[in-house]
Amino acid sequence: MRRSIAYPLAVAAAAGSTVVVAGPASAHGYVSSPPSRQALCAQGAVPDCGPIQFEPQSVEGPKGLRNCHANLSRFAVLSDESREWPAKAVGAKVSFRWVLTARHRTSTWEYFVGGTRVAVFDDGNRQPDAVVTHVVDLSGFPGRRTVLAVWNIGDTPMAFYNCVDLNIGGGTESAPPTGPSQRPTATPGTGPAPTQPAPTQPAPTKKPVKGAPWKPGVTYRIGDEVTYGGVRYRCRQAHTTIRSWEPPFTPALWLAL
Amino acid sequence: MSRRYRLLPVVLVPFLLTACGSGEGGHDRHAAGTRTGAVSAAPAAGHNDTDVMFLQLMIAHHRQGLEMARLATERAEREEVRTLAAAIVATQTDEVKTMTSWLGRWSKPVTAEHVPALHAEHGALPATGAKEIETLRRTTGADFEPAFLNLFAAHQHNAVKLARMETGKGGNADAKAFAKRVQESRTDQIRQLLRLLSG
Repeated sequence: MRRSIAYPLAVAAAAGSTVVVAGPASAHGYVSSPPSRQALCAQGAVPDCGPIQFEPQSVEGPKGLRNCHANLSRFAVLSDESREWPAKAVGAKVSFRWVLTARHRTSTWEYFVGGTRVAVFDDGNRQPDAVVTHVVDLSGFPGRRTVLAVWNIGDTPMAFYNCVDLNIGGGTESAPPTGPSQRPTATPGTGPAPTQPAPTQPAPTKKPVKGAPWKPGVTYRIGDEVTYGGVRYRCRQAHTTIRSWEPPFTPALWLAL
Repeated sequence: MSRRYRLLPVVLVPFLLTACGSGEGGHDRHAAGTRTGAVSAAPAAGHNDTDVMFLQLMIAHHRQGLEMARLATERAEREEVRTLAAAIVATQTDEVKTMTSWLGRWSKPVTAEHVPALHAEHGALPATGAKEIETLRRTTGADFEPAFLNLFAAHQHNAVKLARMETGKGGNADAKAFAKRVQESRTDQIRQLLRLLSG
């Protein structure tokens, strides 16, 4: 078993097959909506998750596990029920969407509630489609539930694990994520947005004061002015600021005055 | 398991450098460098093979990202998604120019040889290759936005990974600083994309 995995990988690499070069952990995939616990960590809705926030796609373990963290101690927070994971309110039929960072051949996608397998999708050892969405009927499981979503890889003994906390049968309305957990940024769409997002008006962000210091998490519109490093800049492309989009590095967004 | 994963990069690096470097000098130089660990030391010219490979791969990666983001500026339903996409188009267009100018200054080609295989090995392209972009191009209506957000999150995860290679093994200070900014900005973009998906 051991040898049969390590050696073909090297050969496959030489042949230019889809082998992932290891980073801190090899990358693969996770459920993005309704948000899995690792997605909640990666989006900052649940704070202090540790390394999982930077690699939500890496919850990989041998096939057949039935927990949220694939027995990986560095991701143990995913199985920590004391974290009060916010449950998304959903209808009886739920569309599970995946972010895939490497398109491994896939045997099956499985969904469990408690010990019960409620759905399975067989990909027949093919590469996944560009967009992976599974509609799962959870009408038999009303109320607050944790769904375990598993991606079983076709050509390795491994699988990827996601726990998705849901409040099933609560209608189609979205539950607010953890309430107003103290969040450093004020990105639109991050605040409590219990209903459908307003199509035209982004969530109210701090109204930028003209010429105030640039900072992350603020939505600027064309014509807004900021100061950064003693230089004044005018916004030339609307955006919400993030780290490393400071005006000196983003002349496409800011015009030095 | 963990031991196998640690071994992988060692096995793969020679292939990557061979395929991705300047295209001259051949196997011997790269192989020797790998053995002695000299590959990552910045040569006199102020850059090493990792810098070149990083820029070549990142330019190709950016171009695919730009294709997807441009679609989103037109098709996404929510204004905040269209605005994020437009800002990404603006910044990444600039970044491609910068990266291209660096390669030019180093007299290196913008396009690496054997790109598809390379990208596959990096995990950089399988997530958002030509096939996925074509699918997105054909996706309209209410299906477009979630398709874009998921594909683009994957795309940016892979950008972070590529940048991590450069911050670890690159030799050129400017390229490494740029890679650090890529890591930060894409990590934050992934946050925004995921929030928009959950919204």
